[in-house]
Amino acid sequence: MDRGHIGVLPRPTRLADESYLEFVTSFRKFAIQKGFPVMAANGEAALGKAIEKGEVSAPEEGDELELDEIKKVFAKVPFTPTWQRFVRSQQEMMWRGTRKSFLRNADKIMADMDAAEKSHPDNIHYDPAFEPPKYTRCEIHCQPGGYTDDPLGGAVFHYGTKIFYEGFNDQDELHIELAEKATKPADGSVNRILDLGCSIGQSTTVLKDLYPDAEVWGLDVGLPLIRYAHMRAVQREKDVHFKQALAEDSGYPDAHFDMVHAYILFHEVPVKKMKEILAEVFRVLRPGGVFSIFEFPNNDKGQVPPGYRFMIDNDSRDNCEPYSPAFVASDFKGILKTTGFAVQQGPAVSNEFLQSLVATKPA
Amino acid sequence: MNDESRKIEVPEELGDEIGGNGRVYFENVVIDNMLDALLELSATVWTHHDRVIVLEKILASKGIDVSEEIEAHLPDEEEVAARAAERDAFVERVFGAFLRRPTHDLTEKADI
Repeated sequence: MDRGHIGVLPRPTRLADESYLEFVTSFRKFAIQKGFPVMAANGEAALGKAIEKGEVSAPEEGDELELDEIKKVFAKVPFTPTWQRFVRSQQEMMWRGTRKSFLRNADKIMADMDAAEKSHPDNIHYDPAFEPPKYTRCEIHCQPGGYTDDPLGGAVFHYGTKIFYEGFNDQDELHIELAEKATKPADGSVNRILDLGCSIGQSTTVLKDLYPDAEVWGLDVGLPLIRYAHMRAVQREKDVHFKQALAEDSGYPDAHFDMVHAYILFHEVPVKKMKEILAEVFRVLRPGGVFSIFEFPNNDKGQVPPGYRFMIDNDSRDNCEPYSPAFVASDFKGILKTTGFAVQQGPAVSNEFLQSLVATKPA
Repeated sequence: MNDESRKIEVPEELGDEIGGNGRVYFENVVIDNMLDALLELSATVWTHHDRVIVLEKILASKGIDVSEEIEAHLPDEEEVAARAAERDAFVERVFGAFLRRPTHDLTEKADI
């Protein structure tokens, strides 16, 4: 059954599913917004006491505590495993409930995506023989089938991430904010824009609204996401292009784009691939072109407190984020500079966890 | 455009992460199972409460007070069976965690 949309968001197929998933949203809000500070504060307090007692050595000036020491001490606080259980169970309930609900409407969702391809074939670009490499096929965030292996993955991702965002992105609010905060080239010339790792195109279509004369492309490795993004764009009459390809091998000509935009892409790829993607972005940007990056923070200078380090490590292991710890530990800004970019702090965003960077290809 | 897309089959069951044994966070796995059960139970309580709110709103908008009729309602066989099946699924959803992780070392989980 198709119960329509709430704004741009499709409704679950039954009231019972919607109520169940709304409970999961409220529980997630409780676990993340209220539970995490309690878990972090108590773990950090225990860590302070362990250092005082000499059970854990205080780090030298400029050094940081070993992650294993943080984990060992945090594990002794009873609320830590409770919080881990809460977060994991909520994540499983979110995906299980979302997929079960949209599976009921699978025939219509598949037919709608097919119809969009048929009516607007020039706006979707993929090679049916393309096989996503193994590193892209993890079940990121525990999403069943990941981004590549569930034909319904776009619909499941859309409602699942609505829950993940705890209600503050129901109408793509965060994606709108990030597209609005994407930095323009200094000379103001914007003919082509690339939304790299665009998933279901929530920022891609906004970029088109903001730059109506520009050719706007969304690129992602997940075909189910691209097909769903294309369907959404067609239904909302947005003239954008979606392409399935690897970010490190995009297939675009040199100096093709004036602006590239990426939101939480780099912590989802191995550091080796991150470097290849940066080289590819440098290649496809024209001189003076600008790359706007909104991403996980890096801890290369020990700037992330123990509670967040515990959470990121936990997220990596228990929320299927296999590449994020290496990204967080990397000198991302240094790698951007080595690639050839001039790097500056980007505009502040409402989600304070994210780092915001602007990388410009020198003119 | 890919004409093959109509042949794409959507699998019913999917996901290694949400399936399988799941994770254990406590030395006593029963605590993991009780918390999972508590969460499913809470979700179910809310789901039913939400439905009752919607039901009462709709009935009230039609000027119908159903409280006495609910108490007097006697189900037929078909309804009894349907409600039993729904109840069984409810029990499984709330208490399924105990079967998913019957023991702490899941490599020693009995194959039934």
